[in-house]
Amino acid sequence: MTAPADPTVRVGIDAVAVERLRRLVEGDEQRQQGLFTPRELDYCRGKRRRYEHLAARFAAKEAVLKAFGTGISQRMRWTDVEVLNERSGRPRVLLAGAVADFAERHGLSQLDVSLTHTEDLAFAHAVALWKQEGACAST
Amino acid sequence: MADVDSSVKEAVVEALALDDDEVTPESTLMDDLGAESIDLLDILFRIEKSTGVKIEASDLGDYMQGGIPDDEFSDENEVITEKGAQHLKTVMPQTDPAELAGSLKADEVISLFTVQNLVEMVKSRGDGAG
Repeated sequence: MTAPADPTVRVGIDAVAVERLRRLVEGDEQRQQGLFTPRELDYCRGKRRRYEHLAARFAAKEAVLKAFGTGISQRMRWTDVEVLNERSGRPRVLLAGAVADFAERHGLSQLDVSLTHTEDLAFAHAVALWKQEGACAST
Repeated sequence: MADVDSSVKEAVVEALALDDDEVTPESTLMDDLGAESIDLLDILFRIEKSTGVKIEASDLGDYMQGGIPDDEFSDENEVITEKGAQHLKTVMPQTDPAELAGSLKADEVISLFTVQNLVEMVKSRGDGAG
């Protein structure tokens, strides 16, 4: 993809305590479905360290919204940011709903995310490239 | 329903690991108390457990916007309109429409949301649920 003429780069980072995420959603399918898409839950279900993977995905959702200059607001849902994995293991972000609308309205050009996690903490870093200078506020 | 004022305060204190006297009705959840998204989630889950009132994070935006269409709540630069500011006054009485209209970005509204605003939201949802 050709880079836009006047791109604006925004970054977002987030850390999530694995145990806290586990405590919030363990054994509660409804809560899990409110935070994660069916594909995210399927991916993590078979993992030995399931909650590390879920925490990393939650961190990624927040990191993406930070790179957008917004938090979870304006009717955005957690499931509007979906983190999938390519066969190589590289994460890929898909947007839907209010978050996709926001991205389109503000001229999102490219979005990338990187995840890492330990037994205790999960981190995500998102980078968003916007087509227009000043198109999206930073926080 | 459990006493909403105390349930909300307890949820905030425990989710954010704060001392009881650090949380006042006027405290803003994000700016004053430093809540991040997962904290907000924790608070809302605790409130659901103690009061039975289920609120999702995305409901906060709906509550603050009050059904006003996006293009009437904020302008093309995502700044709150006079109509939007007037509505915010009804759900966040501590705000001043004259101060907010034309200056506050729509995605910054949540930064003004206080513990008391959350109490009132939970009460309104509880009433609605019967």
